[in-house]
Amino acid sequence: MGIEEKLEELKRRIETVQAGGGAERIKKQHAKGKLTARERLDRLFDEGSFIEVDQFVRHRCTEFGMEKVEAPGEGVVTGYGTIDGRLVYAFAQDFTVIGGTLGEMHAAKVCKVMDLAVKTGAPLVGLNDSGGARIQEGVDALNGYGNIFYRNTLASGVIPQISVIMGPSAGGAVYSPALTDFVFMVDKVSQMFITGPQVIKAVTGEEVSFEELGGAMTHNRVSGVAHFFAETEEQCLALVRQLLSYLPSNNLEDPPVKEPVDDINRCEENLLAVVPTDSNKPYEVREIITAVVDSGEFLEVQPYFAQNMVVGFARLNGRPVGILANQPRVLAGCLDINASDKAARFVRFCDAFNIPLLTFVDTPGYLPGTDQEYGGIIRHGAKLLYAYSEATVPKITVVLRKAYGGAYLAMCSRSLGADQAFAWPTAEIAVMGPEGAANIIFRREIQESDDPPSKRQEKVQEYRDKFTNPYVAAGRGYIDAVIDPRETRPRLIMALMALASKRETRPAKKHGNIPV
Amino acid sequence: MRKFRVTVNGEEYEVEIEEVQVEAKTPVSRTDGVVDAPGSSPVSKTRPIRAGARKAPKPEVPEDQKPRQPQPAAPAGEGEVVEAPLPGTVLEVMVSEGQQVEAGDVLVILEAMKMENEIVAPVSGTVREVLAQKGSTVNPGDVLVVLG
Repeated sequence: MGIEEKLEELKRRIETVQAGGGAERIKKQHAKGKLTARERLDRLFDEGSFIEVDQFVRHRCTEFGMEKVEAPGEGVVTGYGTIDGRLVYAFAQDFTVIGGTLGEMHAAKVCKVMDLAVKTGAPLVGLNDSGGARIQEGVDALNGYGNIFYRNTLASGVIPQISVIMGPSAGGAVYSPALTDFVFMVDKVSQMFITGPQVIKAVTGEEVSFEELGGAMTHNRVSGVAHFFAETEEQCLALVRQLLSYLPSNNLEDPPVKEPVDDINRCEENLLAVVPTDSNKPYEVREIITAVVDSGEFLEVQPYFAQNMVVGFARLNGRPVGILANQPRVLAGCLDINASDKAARFVRFCDAFNIPLLTFVDTPGYLPGTDQEYGGIIRHGAKLLYAYSEATVPKITVVLRKAYGGAYLAMCSRSLGADQAFAWPTAEIAVMGPEGAANIIFRREIQESDDPPSKRQEKVQEYRDKFTNPYVAAGRGYIDAVIDPRETRPRLIMALMALASKRETRPAKKHGNIPV
Repeated sequence: MRKFRVTVNGEEYEVEIEEVQVEAKTPVSRTDGVVDAPGSSPVSKTRPIRAGARKAPKPEVPEDQKPRQPQPAAPAGEGEVVEAPLPGTVLEVMVSEGQQVEAGDVLVILEAMKMENEIVAPVSGTVREVLAQKGSTVNPGDVLVVLG
């Protein structure tokens, strides 16, 4: 056979692999409103940059007639390419090839790119669209999942890992995405669950649809499993690219700096009007975030889950920051189980990848109720204290209005290691609200008074005048500066610059024991 | 919370009943989150009354060891139930029955945690029922408004 013929054979083999499950199955995939694995990779990566590896890997299962089954590419496309010019590794399960099921060699392909991503310090994106374990391969398939979970864990905190769910992901398959940093889901396309609707019906009698049980909105709104919701696959992949623009490629790099486009000294007159003078009135905290950050661009993470806590990425003078803020519009801005969980995880991600933390505080406290106590708000709330205390990235806090009690401490207070703590003149920093405090401190005086209600009012006012302001805390140095709200942006940028070279070490240990 | 065992057509059911204060002026008797007004019965957010054993009981499992779940949420088309998200006092009811609302419109202002919380419509629709009463105290999960 001459070289011409050998080239001909190579071409034929590549074409076979690239055809995936064949025209018929691709048509079916499209009919479901889904793209194929290769179409997805084309949209995710810079045009023409994706390079496939392991095209010719074949399964070696001979049970149940599998020796006759051809699975081009083993049901998964793996490789690397560039996104905004930066190296990224990826795998995309191919539903057109035996349902994208995961067998021994399918898993081996995934593991190979995972290992390469870790060795080269590049992010890994997994596009999941799989029927689950390839049952014919038995424990080999199971072992494949285990190998992926193990690598997800070892890579955690080393490279950003992103999971995009673009089809079913059921049973054990959900745990690889769950171990990664961010989970993206597409409306009416993605499904994630441990046990499906049929099993649930058989065991508990509950009837629930696939979408209701494990659809994109369920996991974005109810369970908090997913971090991003997209209407379409194209929108979803664009969102992945956008997220990556804020993240460094690995834990040893700083996040990518963009050419600053917004004025450093931009003051916002608007900021004087956002927070109502009446502290009983709610407002939209996102208005403050978008007024302060570069060009008003804020990529919110988990925007539908635990909405009393807003978290996400933005830039200040071109440098990425991770922002956390209490949302007074939802649950009065109280901290609760889900908000603590959401915030703690976000803080730990940012700390792992050298992204400075910026915290806006307006919280009256922890949400009262038996649901919260029985649900373990003590241990979940502790996560946030732990995460902030553990973080060594630059930490900047701005108290907008209420900062009471334990919740104030939890929101990156000076005591938890904030490097710069600012307060607006509207701030109320105290151990508890005036009503509660006056009732306790002046209980006897109020009881013994001739007119207890008016005495109570008088004492409440006395307490309010004296303590519900930022100056008691500033007098102790818990607050570094009380600032004009209009100057928030320049002050934050200056603080970030002054903290850019921050180095802080922690005692050497194997790992801490965060109250998970 | 009290437990009763009730036998209907030879089948045994276990029912938990919680006694609550019924406000004299309200015609709608309300048990924490459960509305017995006509038309709203399928909207079942039954927290205190659990009828988990209503599904054909398997004889080999003792009644009190059965897994119990709240009934499934109201199916689409049965109305959207807007519940109190936190304990507080109803400061203002902004809508009345039959009124059209857009998603995001304020339905009720609930004073809780020293905040006048705006409880907004999760979806657009018609206000089918208003259960929130100005000045009344509500707990999380109590139904404030039902949208049709």
